[in-house]
Amino acid sequence: MRLIPGWHGRIEMTLSPLMQIENLSVDAATERGTAHLLHHVSLDIARGRILGVVGESGSGKSTLASCLLRLLPSNVTRVEGRLIFDGVDLMTLDADAMNAYRGRRIAMIFQDPMTALNPLFTIGTHLIDVLRRRDSGIDRELALATAEAMLTTVGVPDARLRLGAYPHQLSGGMRQRVMIAMALLVEPDLLLADEPTTALDATIEAQIVQLFDELRQRFSGSIVFISHHLGLVAELCDDLCVMYGGTVVETGPVADVVADPRHPYTKALLACEIDPDGDGKLLSIRGDVPDPVNEGGQCVFAPRCGHVIAGCVSNEPPLQAIGEVRRAACIRAHEILP
Amino acid sequence: MGITAETARYLASRLVTSIIIVFGAMLLLFTLSALVPGDPAVTLLGPQATPELAAHFIREMGLDQPLHIRLWRFFSNVLTGNLGQDVLSGRYVTGMVGAVLPSTIILTFMAIFLAVLFGVPLGCFAATHRGSFFDHVLAILSVTFIAIPSFVVAIFLLLVFAIWLDWLPVLGTSGTGSFADEAKRMILPTIALAIGWIGFIARLVRSSMLEILGENHIRTMRAYGLPERLIVYKYALKNACIPIIAILGLGIGRLLGGAVLVEIVFSRPGLGRLVYDAIAARNYPVLQGSVLVVVLLFVVTNLLVDLSYSAIDPRIRRRAEREGMPK
Repeated sequence: MRLIPGWHGRIEMTLSPLMQIENLSVDAATERGTAHLLHHVSLDIARGRILGVVGESGSGKSTLASCLLRLLPSNVTRVEGRLIFDGVDLMTLDADAMNAYRGRRIAMIFQDPMTALNPLFTIGTHLIDVLRRRDSGIDRELALATAEAMLTTVGVPDARLRLGAYPHQLSGGMRQRVMIAMALLVEPDLLLADEPTTALDATIEAQIVQLFDELRQRFSGSIVFISHHLGLVAELCDDLCVMYGGTVVETGPVADVVADPRHPYTKALLACEIDPDGDGKLLSIRGDVPDPVNEGGQCVFAPRCGHVIAGCVSNEPPLQAIGEVRRAACIRAHEILP
Repeated sequence: MGITAETARYLASRLVTSIIIVFGAMLLLFTLSALVPGDPAVTLLGPQATPELAAHFIREMGLDQPLHIRLWRFFSNVLTGNLGQDVLSGRYVTGMVGAVLPSTIILTFMAIFLAVLFGVPLGCFAATHRGSFFDHVLAILSVTFIAIPSFVVAIFLLLVFAIWLDWLPVLGTSGTGSFADEAKRMILPTIALAIGWIGFIARLVRSSMLEILGENHIRTMRAYGLPERLIVYKYALKNACIPIIAILGLGIGRLLGGAVLVEIVFSRPGLGRLVYDAIAARNYPVLQGSVLVVVLLFVVTNLLVDLSYSAIDPRIRRRAEREGMPK
C-alpha cells in the first residue's frame, strides 16, 4: 500500500542528510610507500542523529573525522571525493571558506584530553577565545558567564573556579568535560567526537558516555561518535558505521545491525564483545589488521574471513544496499545469516 | 602569581643554591691565583724590582701568610664587599668594577633586547613559512652570523658604517655624558654583539615553534577555526618561549664574553676592558675581582631565568612549589 507511487523510503529519508561523504579516498606517504588511509568511503550523516563509527585501530576512523574538518596531517598526499555538508562540497572550498565552518558549524572533541588543551593557558582563556571566534564582539563578563554555565551543564563542579584553572590542575575526565563544553559553546550542526573516552579509565568513561546520552536531549545537531568499543556505540548511537582497513564495511540503524549483522567483520566484532551471560571467554578475530600499504583489488577483510569465495579475492566488493536503510560491503551479505 | 609559602620556600632554596655556586667560584678563583706559577711579586712588579721592594710587596699583599689565612681573608673581604686592591694603582677593585659595570650591563642587555626583538618574529615567520625562500635565506644568514665571532662583526661594522659611510662614530663612548650622543655610539657595539644572537634565537624559535605547532592543543585551536595569528602569536609562542629563556640564561655568560671583545674594539669602558687590561698587566687582584663579578651576574641572571620559567609555565610553578616543600 504505497501512498506515493515510486516511494520506497521511510519518513526519515525525506530529510536530506546533514553530511554526505561520497567516495572519499585519502592516501599518505609513509616510509614503506603510499598508505591508503581511506578507500572509497561513502557515508551519510543524518540530521539530529548520533552516528557511531567503530573499527579497530588503524581502520581509518580518526582519519575520517579529521577529514571532515579538512585537518589532515602533513604527510597526506591525496584526498579525493566529495564532502557535501548541507549542500556545500567542503572539498571545493578555499582555506578561508573552510575555516568558516570550523568552530562554527562543525566542532570536534579529541581522543586525548590530556594534550588537547594548551598547558600554559587557563580553561577560561581557551573557552573565551572559542566564544570570541563565534561572536567577536562578546563582552568578557558575558563570555565568562556563558562558559561557566556551559561547564556546569557538562558536569564540571565549581565552574567559576575552574575557569581560572590550568589544564594540569584538572583530571582527565574533567578535561574531557571541558572539551565537550568547548564543543557545545559553538552550537555546531555537527559534533565530531573522536574516541572521546578511550584515554579515560572505565568509570570515567561511563560518566562521559552518560553525559553524551543526556546531551542528546538538549543538543539538536548531529553527532559522530567514534569508538573502538562496539558495545558502547550500540548503547549510545542511532546509526552505526563499521570500518575496516580504511573502508566502510557496514552501515545502518544500530539496532538492526547489531541484531542481524550482514558483514562477517561486524559479526566477528560482535562476537568479541564481552557477553554478560556467557562463560567469560574472550574471543578475538584471527589474523592481523590489514596493511594500509596494499594494492587493493580484493575484499579488505578476505584474509581473515571464514566465508571467502573466489569472488571475494578477484574484486573489491561494493557497498550494496540491504533493505532500505542498510548497506554492507560483502558479496555474500544476502546469504550469510547469523 | 601570588607569593605563597611554597613559592617563598622555593625562592629560598634557589637562593641557597646560588650562594653555594658563588662560594664555589670564589674558591676556584682563589686556588687559581694561588697556583699561578712563578713569584707573584716578580710577575707583578717586573724583573727590575729590588728584593727589598719585592719582600715589602709580599708582606703588603699578605702573601707571606699561610694559605688558610689567605683564604679566610679573601672570603671575609669579599663578604664585606671588598674585592681587593689594585696592586699597581692602589685603588679598590670594588670601586673600579662599580665604575664600569653599568656600561657592560647596558651593552649586554641592549644586545639581548635587540636579539629577542628581531629573532623571535623572524623565527616565527620562518616556522610558519617553512620551506619558503625567506626561510632558506634566513637559515643561511643565521648560520653565517652565528659562526662569525662578534669582534669580527664589530670590525666590519666599524669599517663600513664609521669609516666608509661615516654615519656613526668610531668610538663606543664619548665620556661627555650627553644621552643622545651616548645612545648613538651604542648602536654599533650593540649590533655587533646582538647579530649572532638574532640568528641564534631565530633558529631556536623556528625549531621550537615547528615542534609546538605539531602538538595536539594547536590542532584543537585549528579545529575551532581560531585565526592563525592568534594560534601562532598567542598560543604557540608562549610555549616556544620556554627553551628561548633557557638558552638566554646560559647564553648570558657567552654574551658577557662577547662584550669583552666588542668593548675593546670600540674602546668602550666596561668589565671586558677591565678584565683585558688586568690580564695584560698580570694584575691578579683586579682580574680576580672582575671575574667574580661576572660570576655573580651569571648566577643572578640564571636565578631570574628560573623564576621567569615558573611565571610562564604553571606546571613548573607547581613542581617548583613541590620541590620547595620540606621533605
